Amino acid sequence: MSSLRVEAIDVFYGDVQAVWNISFQVEAGEIVTLVGANGAGKTTTLRTLAGLLRPRAGHILFDGKDVAGLPANELVARGIVLIPEARQLWPGMSVRDNLEMGAYTRAARAERHRTMQSVLEMFPILQKRLTQNAGTLSGGEQQMCAIGRGLMARPRLLMLDEPALGLAPMLVRQVFAALKEINGRGVTLLLVEQNVQHALRLAHRAYVLETGRVTLEGTGAALMDDARVRQRFLGEAGL
Amino acid sequence: MKGARAWMAVLAATLLLAPLLAERGTLNDLWNVAFAVVLASAWNLLGGFAGQISLGYSAFVGIGAYTTVLLADAGWNPWLTLPVAAALAVLFSVVVGLPTFRLRGPYFSIATIGVGEAVRVIASGMEFTGGSSGLRMPSADFHFLSNYYGMAVLALLTVGVMAYVRGQAFGLALSAIRQDIDAAEALGIPSTRYKLLAHALSAALVGTAGGLFAMNFQYISPGSVFDFRLSLSIVLMPIVGGIGTLVGPVLGAVLFSYLQIKLLASPTLRDSYLFIYGGLLMLVMLFEPHGMVGLWERLVQLGRRAGRPVAGAPRGG
Repeated sequence: MSSLRVEAIDVFYGDVQAVWNISFQVEAGEIVTLVGANGAGKTTTLRTLAGLLRPRAGHILFDGKDVAGLPANELVARGIVLIPEARQLWPGMSVRDNLEMGAYTRAARAERHRTMQSVLEMFPILQKRLTQNAGTLSGGEQQMCAIGRGLMARPRLLMLDEPALGLAPMLVRQVFAALKEINGRGVTLLLVEQNVQHALRLAHRAYVLETGRVTLEGTGAALMDDARVRQRFLGEAGL
Repeated sequence: MKGARAWMAVLAATLLLAPLLAERGTLNDLWNVAFAVVLASAWNLLGGFAGQISLGYSAFVGIGAYTTVLLADAGWNPWLTLPVAAALAVLFSVVVGLPTFRLRGPYFSIATIGVGEAVRVIASGMEFTGGSSGLRMPSADFHFLSNYYGMAVLALLTVGVMAYVRGQAFGLALSAIRQDIDAAEALGIPSTRYKLLAHALSAALVGTAGGLFAMNFQYISPGSVFDFRLSLSIVLMPIVGGIGTLVGPVLGAVLFSYLQIKLLASPTLRDSYLFIYGGLLMLVMLFEPHGMVGLWERLVQLGRRAGRPVAGAPRGG
């Protein structure tokens, strides 16, 4: 079981508040997505959950324990893993080393051969690229490598920041299919995505963020039908 | 990698066998080479592998040197002061690292300039360090050759440690920190802890070299061991040689010691060596960011390309 409860967190960059009193929850086994325009606070929220930023107020409960303010390495050890925006692979390292370094925590290291096997089954293209430098991969391959690297940490809650960014439509579908498969293997997913249509279709539940606040929530299907969402994010003309 | 091993064998053979063949003057020069190899290779662990460019490494040389002189003054056997010199350098590296590793990129580098200068000013002002006139080792029998072997072994040890670290998970983690620190942190690599560890390991090696320096020169002052120009040379050697590589810092150290020896011997060029280093640095940054190692690899590739048609000729003809 790996549920996440975010309770009224405020996050600042210096004196500038980016996230205002945000609350939401992700139940074990769910796929939840945060959608919203640029600057809505989605990335800030994920980085806070990953321990890269500290909330100034509020609680973050993971499996019932408050983990707010813990350092990133501690959170990874507990199973919270972030796949950062724009892939952020280590370009000068081979694909194999990138994946190996994903299995950094002691528990993940012990299992790394088996995990690597299942990652390569999920993304067969990486098998052919293992000895290549990650910087030489195409955009789609890089995203597969980044997701694979995240999986190497054996996450229980996997957070993804815009995994479809800059990918061709076919690759976007492939990435979303992979996410569904990962979720099917029991990993809880928290997804931030600007590709709202795909994200809402995949997610069990979704939250809409606007200027650092949660303004709407509901099941993915319900939000798809919501007039405000359709107008704001799905390009439907309003009055 | 095979090439690196051959280079290292040459270095080891030269340093260890030279006393059998060479004159004292040559050995003095080789001592300088070994000293430079320690500084450049040890700096490369933090600056090259982990990408944290510190401009304050003279502080470790100085702390090592002062520790050795002060303890020898108190009656210690100079050799037994070396572990203490290393330990104090490590301690200082942690004290400095804790605040400065919160900074990234150029901000970190600038902070380390401040730290190095602060240490120099403090050493110049304190009484127990002899102020700006410095300190002299107590006169005792001094065997140049044992000091020479000490520095040679330390140089080989340093290069050996770097070769070992590079193949370990620790080395990969440092490389991950250099290439994308955010990604490293997101995947749970405790970047600050690793930077501190790299800093401490290289400080221990540089501090020990500082102690051997004091034993060899018998006299130290803030102007010799805490000099900013020393910090600058420590950075320039690995960059000119090939930053982040194993062989690069060694090549840079050899080149720099050679230049320094030549320049110091010439009255007209004596004060111009930083000017020449600066010029070298600009050439490297403009034309070959991987330094002498990059240049070498380019030459090898050119040679291979030129050689290929010849090798294929019999089959074609």
